[in-house]
Amino acid sequence: MDRSNKQIQFSWGKRRAKGGLKMDIRFYESFTLDNVKYSLYDCVYLFKHGDPEPYIGKIVKIWEQNQAKKVKILWFFLPDEIQKYLRGSVMEKEIFLASGDGIGLADINPLEAVAGKCTVICISKDERNRQPSPREQAMADYIFYRFFNVENCTLSDQLPDKIAGLEVKVLLNPKDELVISSPNTVNVPLNPNADDGLAATAPPPHSAVKEENESPDAAVPLSHPAAKEVDAKLPAAVALSQSVVNKDQKPVAAIPISESVIKKEDKKSVAAISLSQSAVKEEEKSVAAISLSQSAVKEEEKPVASTPHPRSAVVENNAKHTQSQNVHDGERPPKKLKLSQEATLKNMTPAVTETRPFELPSRQAERSKWFTFTWDDKVRRADEQGTLVYIQNLDIHFAAADIEELIDKALQLSCTAKPINHPTYDDPNNGKAYAIFKTKNDADVAISKINSGLVVGGRPLYCSKGLLKVPKSSGTFVGHLNLYNIKIGQKQREEQKKAVSTSHCSQPNTIEYDLALDWMLLRAKQEKKFQILHKRHKDDRKGFASIGSKGSKAGK
Amino acid sequence: METSKEQASTKYADFEEKVKKTIYIDQLSPQVTTPVIKAALAQCANVVNVEFIVNYTIPYDIPSAALVELDDEVQAKAAVELMTDFPFIIGGMPRPVKATYAKAEMFRDRPPCPGLKKDFRWIKQGDGEYETMKKLKNLAKKQESENMALIKNLLDEEKELAKQQQEALDGNGKKYEMLEAVMSNGTIRKLAHHYGVSLDD
Repeated sequence: MDRSNKQIQFSWGKRRAKGGLKMDIRFYESFTLDNVKYSLYDCVYLFKHGDPEPYIGKIVKIWEQNQAKKVKILWFFLPDEIQKYLRGSVMEKEIFLASGDGIGLADINPLEAVAGKCTVICISKDERNRQPSPREQAMADYIFYRFFNVENCTLSDQLPDKIAGLEVKVLLNPKDELVISSPNTVNVPLNPNADDGLAATAPPPHSAVKEENESPDAAVPLSHPAAKEVDAKLPAAVALSQSVVNKDQKPVAAIPISESVIKKEDKKSVAAISLSQSAVKEEEKSVAAISLSQSAVKEEEKPVASTPHPRSAVVENNAKHTQSQNVHDGERPPKKLKLSQEATLKNMTPAVTETRPFELPSRQAERSKWFTFTWDDKVRRADEQGTLVYIQNLDIHFAAADIEELIDKALQLSCTAKPINHPTYDDPNNGKAYAIFKTKNDADVAISKINSGLVVGGRPLYCSKGLLKVPKSSGTFVGHLNLYNIKIGQKQREEQKKAVSTSHCSQPNTIEYDLALDWMLLRAKQEKKFQILHKRHKDDRKGFASIGSKGSKAGK
Repeated sequence: METSKEQASTKYADFEEKVKKTIYIDQLSPQVTTPVIKAALAQCANVVNVEFIVNYTIPYDIPSAALVELDDEVQAKAAVELMTDFPFIIGGMPRPVKATYAKAEMFRDRPPCPGLKKDFRWIKQGDGEYETMKKLKNLAKKQESENMALIKNLLDEEKELAKQQQEALDGNGKKYEMLEAVMSNGTIRKLAHHYGVSLDD
């Protein structure tokens, strides 16, 4: 799982004692990862590969042993994860701290799994807890005052004395008011109906899931509106922009089946909490759950339908899935598929995802850097893996979904594709696209088949493997002239620098204007040339098509 | 199935709305970034989104281009007009940018156009049409290379022009410098004296 192409910055903070049997473990109080400082008892997000949503936890131990950096994370639960055991209402932004002993309390993770900080304020009225100011509470990402005991699966608002061997006091609000930076608050569009929102969220995803079962074809559009609703109603606990950020990742999608299959496999193999041995037991159970619901669905093609099922089993007593439900009965809900699974429904927009226009705040950007792959990244990776195919001579009006559908129908192969014509230069008669297949073999098969004779709407397609060699755009721009050898003062140099990045209208009385006119003349000529050439191409093709049809008629 | 068709058409209708509000700016310097475009267009339009076109197909160093989404169609029209009237030199150097209305096929992430025919056929050797199709394929390839050749040609022309302009500019610069130098170090007085020309003219 390659997260990044470059090294992520890391440095240790304050040291603590040494420990371990062989005294080869060094404990720390803090560390800096990717330019963010994390200290003991900070609340953090952790991403697991394959999951669209992050987990929230508190760092309770930091150490390094044998070159491996680890953190021990005490988990928070989102309301949806423990919905079965919840009684009464849930506050806005509320999460629950794990307590007791057993599986699901805490886990050891590699330090690099930490994906960002968040603010969690404790609002318990217990005297040991420093009461937060209203501003703190409003600005915090999450709040908690209740504890979920993992041993007997009960909720309580009484502070236990110790959790995970630590005095509970250190887990509560720190002495100083938390410095809450605004980027964190951006990510949660607070759900006004948090209280009934929770109940309400259950039905839409449920209905989405149900309908998926019944009509796989209709599943796509249906889930889309359902997903849209979910979008609106997701409880604030789920960092919405997280899932949005991961939209690009396309974890599970209905139409691009290849993606979803890959992701599902990820889920299967990494189904348990994270990377600790205690999770192994659950891994089997969750695999069992998934495969059970799979058999219930009987549709290999629509894994999305199957993955929410264990979720819905946890969420409500879905009679259809009693099998998977039984698996989860009487067991703390495994920390794998959350309501945010529904977020994957949301991500079921076909590969044609619109890019979200808002600027991600820097924290989000950190996370997104690691965990989302833009189309461009995907293309590069696919090229390395040999799964990238360059298809030409398509109709330029085809959209991504059209191409994928076409490949699916014609070759029974699934892929993600995008049309890639450059609006200025490419010949509009010849539409081009990149398609990423699941395996190298698929790609090879596709190439040979398409080249051997696939004709779409009268256009014979042709394709080849791999990425076109496109030179990286150099920093300089042809036509940007530099004044030679002018000794400019410092201030003026700054202005000149700025001049490149600002814009101004030019008046007819400058030298620039004349030069600009030259360029405009050249450009006008160029456009004409393109027009002529492309028109000629078009006519040639038409001519051919008619010859072709005549020929075939004659042949018959 | 109806819903999916309706859905698709509404999606496409929305997309078409977006297309109308979007303009396509070309011939941008690679140094131009989103804030620059926003600032440039601030006079006449509010920029909602800027998406730079990634070059996947042209194996040459081409200028940047971007799809800029504005608030509405009116603004789009105003922006295009602004850029055509004034060689709106985004970048402070002589090469002007070009702005046109966007077209649906410029967007990489477009929703499928409902009603687009996607029928396909398999044609094998021995079919009557095979030869024709083969010729058509070759024609397409030929056209492609013609296109590329044209592009290369055009880019070379641009380089030529740039070189020309740079030389002219350099020449002018030198001339002015020389003049200035002559003025400043008094040579001109001697020259004037020599030629009998009065300096005050």
